[in-house]
Amino acid sequence: MATYVARNGIGENQRRVEDVRFLTGHGKYIDDVNIENQAYAMVLRSPEAHADIKSIDVSEAAALDGVLLIVTGDDWKSTGYDPIPTKSAVRTFIDGSDMKVPPHHALAIDRVRYVGQPVALVVAETQDICRDAMELIEVDYESLPSVTHQSEAIKEGAPQIWDIAPGNVCLDFELGDEEVQKKAFADADHVITLNMVNNRVTATPMEPRGAVADFDPETGKFTLWNSSQNIHANRDTIADVVLKIGKENLHHIAPDVGGGFGGKNGVYPEPILILHAAKELKRAVKWINDRSESFLSDTHGRDQVSKVQIALDNDGTFRGLRTESVGNLGAFCGTVGSFTPTGGSSRTQGGPFKFDGIYYTAIAPFTNTCPLDPYRGAGRPEGSYHIDRIIDYAAAQLGMDPIELRRKNLIPPEALPMKSPMGLDIDCGNFPEVFEETIRISDREGYAKRVEASEAKGMKRGFGVCMYLECTGGGPKEEAKVTFLDNGKVELSVGTASTGMGHETVHAQLLAGHLGLAMEDIVFRQSDTDATEIGGGHGGSRGLEVGGSAVTQTSRQIIEVGKKIAAHRFDVDADKVEFEDGRFHVPGTNHTMTIRDAIDSQNDPDNLPDDLEPGCMNISSVFERGIISIPNGGHACEVEVDPETGTIKVDGYWVVDDFGTIVNEMLASGQVMGGIAQGLGQALMEDIYYDESGQLVTGSLMDYALPRADDMPRMVIAYYEDAPTEKNLLGVKGAGEAGCVGAPPAIVNAVCDALKEYGVHHIDMPLTPEKVWKAIRDAKATG
Amino acid sequence: MYDFGIKNPTSIDDVKAALGDAEDGQFLAGGQTLIPVLKQRLAMPSDLISLSRVDGLSGITAGGDSISIKAMTRHAEVAANADIKSAIPALAKLAGGIGDPHVRNRGTIGGSVANNDPAADYPAAVLGLGATVITNEREIDADNFFTGMFDTALNEGELITEISFPIPEAVGYIKFPNPATRYALVGVMVAKFGNTVRVAVTGAGPCVFRVPEMEQALTASFSPDSIKDGLVPADDLNNDIHASREYRAHLIGVLARRAVAEANG
Amino acid sequence: MPAITVRVNGLEVTKEVGARTLLSTFIREQLKLTGTHVGCDTSQCGACVVTLDGKTVKSCAVFAWEADGADIGTIEGLADGDKMHPMQEAFREHHGLQCGFCTPGMVMTAVSLVENNPDIDEDGIRHGLEGNICRCTGYQNIIDAVKTGAKAMRG
Repeated sequence: MATYVARNGIGENQRRVEDVRFLTGHGKYIDDVNIENQAYAMVLRSPEAHADIKSIDVSEAAALDGVLLIVTGDDWKSTGYDPIPTKSAVRTFIDGSDMKVPPHHALAIDRVRYVGQPVALVVAETQDICRDAMELIEVDYESLPSVTHQSEAIKEGAPQIWDIAPGNVCLDFELGDEEVQKKAFADADHVITLNMVNNRVTATPMEPRGAVADFDPETGKFTLWNSSQNIHANRDTIADVVLKIGKENLHHIAPDVGGGFGGKNGVYPEPILILHAAKELKRAVKWINDRSESFLSDTHGRDQVSKVQIALDNDGTFRGLRTESVGNLGAFCGTVGSFTPTGGSSRTQGGPFKFDGIYYTAIAPFTNTCPLDPYRGAGRPEGSYHIDRIIDYAAAQLGMDPIELRRKNLIPPEALPMKSPMGLDIDCGNFPEVFEETIRISDREGYAKRVEASEAKGMKRGFGVCMYLECTGGGPKEEAKVTFLDNGKVELSVGTASTGMGHETVHAQLLAGHLGLAMEDIVFRQSDTDATEIGGGHGGSRGLEVGGSAVTQTSRQIIEVGKKIAAHRFDVDADKVEFEDGRFHVPGTNHTMTIRDAIDSQNDPDNLPDDLEPGCMNISSVFERGIISIPNGGHACEVEVDPETGTIKVDGYWVVDDFGTIVNEMLASGQVMGGIAQGLGQALMEDIYYDESGQLVTGSLMDYALPRADDMPRMVIAYYEDAPTEKNLLGVKGAGEAGCVGAPPAIVNAVCDALKEYGVHHIDMPLTPEKVWKAIRDAKATG
Repeated sequence: MYDFGIKNPTSIDDVKAALGDAEDGQFLAGGQTLIPVLKQRLAMPSDLISLSRVDGLSGITAGGDSISIKAMTRHAEVAANADIKSAIPALAKLAGGIGDPHVRNRGTIGGSVANNDPAADYPAAVLGLGATVITNEREIDADNFFTGMFDTALNEGELITEISFPIPEAVGYIKFPNPATRYALVGVMVAKFGNTVRVAVTGAGPCVFRVPEMEQALTASFSPDSIKDGLVPADDLNNDIHASREYRAHLIGVLARRAVAEANG
Repeated sequence: MPAITVRVNGLEVTKEVGARTLLSTFIREQLKLTGTHVGCDTSQCGACVVTLDGKTVKSCAVFAWEADGADIGTIEGLADGDKMHPMQEAFREHHGLQCGFCTPGMVMTAVSLVENNPDIDEDGIRHGLEGNICRCTGYQNIIDAVKTGAKAMRG
């Protein structure tokens, strides 16, 4: 496939179209959607981690003035609705048997399996009445033993969560040639082992989840406004699989969505419940999650414990890598949750480094915790952490320089294209150049002075790097539809879902650039099952890669049609017509026609050749990605650690990313910096913590720390743009997740560098001040 | 939130009457703690008696050897007050480090002190500076005021009207903030008055407390080096997901030394 | 139900409010000014920040009846007709927002920070934004926007 580089639109830091709406308070988020006479719903959630529901008495609640409907698990069972399915791409055990998929009903039936699981739906005239009613519902629980940590869940004698999943195992997994890996280990001079934790975190978009459901009894059609990142696929699941109402009867729309990061990707119980309620009541029903409920019920991310081993020679040459992970799934499979610790974490094992052999194996157990599903990166942050931590740890153990170790083992550009031991098609890039550039921009000359200044204050300074390699994902197909409206506006509908990334701008920027149209004439639609036939939504850094390619493809088709219209007018063959800067022209003649002329001509048959119909420039096309792209880059980080308190200040941050073509650098850097903040949060402060009885201890913003402005360093973001990929029409590789893939290992490496004189070479995330202090104290104690 | 009645008294006498009329009335000062608590249905007062419109409950008066702060004075006003900044700089700093700017624009010194949250900053100042809590009934020494977790010497219906802080010779306050809430995980105030030194610790225990061992050591020599490790045993300190009791015990020593250094300029 | 009279973005309104009606609920549901967002239930996030008599407050931690007689400023009142406030312009120029949910509270806070301290430096801005959580941007572009906004506000 030839790389097509647009003449315009690419490389412009177009300011965002959506910003005026957001900045003036006119965004329309889910809580701003109101339907006349709507009722309000709230969900009664389980206070128990694992318990049998002996009985539920709703009589008092139902009698409360203003209560309209209460739905319990027994009611749900009688509806005949199906469970929410799981769509993980990995579905079989290593031995070929099927993964264990327990039934995930929208309401708990007979037994609860995590704190926060929906037990009943209450619908009332107001939210306050809902709360009053929930207090009056009496649920008789009989507690069962519970288990929240994945390592405990797979031990013999652990409480069993599902009869169908002996030992609590949903799925196991392997990738790579274990024999080759073992031989590499046997041949190598050293094998270094490190157990590490990818802590459990939650996406925490600033807008909590919510939805509004409406039902038209006349037509039998439903409408669901939903703060979701994945409108089309979730429509299909909700309508066709769960409620069995037929997807043509569910109009699914996302209004402005206040952040997602994967946490709004899956199919959740609550929207399904209120669709049911809307039908029962023949009234619109609105449900908005509290923030505290979000902590209990938004799918969580990461939560893997891994044993990572690297084999290397005395001269630092990497030989083999082996990772054994146990990834928590929570009480259910999630929408694609079981893919993260298995396939998702396996593909990028080894990063951009040469190995003779890599082997990855994982177990994915159920626990009595909220289900896990993709959170920004979903497997790639884990993989990057594995390789980039084990390199620094091995360097410390063997007295080697972690920067030299990386330098020595990076895959050289002349080895590309190649298939990695994990099966990734790495087509292009220049890892050594990206790495050296990362070091170059990170002000190494000034480092000694900064160390000195830190020491003078009693502080320890450290420097850490990471060379990440990741891959895109998400739905492989995307639709872009262009309709030229009578009022001169151009409607662009794309099946991607922007939850803050700026698609409304960048897709329009591409269309305007390709066709030579004015940005202000473009009207953007997304996240609406009426706007496009298909839509892959948001996930896997696919927005430009697949969505932007679809816009490009549709633009090219429009130009081809336009050429025919121009050829018809000028009475020449279409292949004589060229298109440039919004004009069709025939070289060597005075024949020119603007795109606007062509558009204005398209509805009159007299203006069209025989093979074109009126409206022929209104085109929709579907782009399908063949092979996923490989974003890669270097992160470098400087930290200052207060050894007395363990406090860490991230004091400098430098990134060089290879995202292929950069369409809008301003937006790309926004993605990178936001990703770094989330990576810094995971590395230093964020932690979803369940106690032994299965209660969520970090259940509000009082206990779950998010990075604030004064926690963040100044970041310098640069790009390597000399290796656009040919896997899509734009040459882009995907930018959305890279920041949080590179940041955790870079930050932890920097901290361990700062603490090396104490003999501290690893601390598990999050690196809270107390953990750092304890590590220093313990290291001093053991001398 | 459960429903409740509202009372908006304009004088201290009216406050008493309003409270008497209520079945289970509760004062509402700045509301920065109480309103979130009500939202979570963790309290169920019959009535809220708002103090916002009570005459004469707000303002800062500097005297020769003390500064008096009326109960409804907002944290932001204390933080910005020129007299406090020059006479008791650590008090201004403490007020300027409570929560965040929005909390400081609403929260009041009286509300904070009456609530006696174990992680609040103000109790460290009141106890550390040996302030006098003045109510509509009497004056209470700081040493007799804080009686336990969320508990004070205030009688039912007794209202703090102002707090009088003696001006120290030297003072320092260092806080280790909880990363999520910015409350004090541990906060230490050290104040020197002639031959007397007071050290008060908040955040670390169920209630703000003094550390006599440190006070004695600092009375002998007011220097960071006087504070040895291990002066506060970990046994009775708070132990939660944010910090273990041993970490808190360690921090008390570190922060106390830094507070002394700050006091010494 | 008490009736309150407030000036909102310069316009006087009188409405009846319930005892437990928060200022945020009053603004969003009774005044239909939905630019003020609610992002949490523990008064941490700062998405709901408005000005009350010129000072920023979390409108989810103030009762509507407490605001009786007060001047309230919301994000909708910042622009001058179609012309955005210099701080709003600066946020757009610097890509200081992504999903836009924290943005109204962030901009209201930024304007207030600069009004209180026209020469505010980067450190001051970072600390001044302590009560406003953004999950999208990593804050750097917000800081840069506030600097530019401050410069424009100084004139």
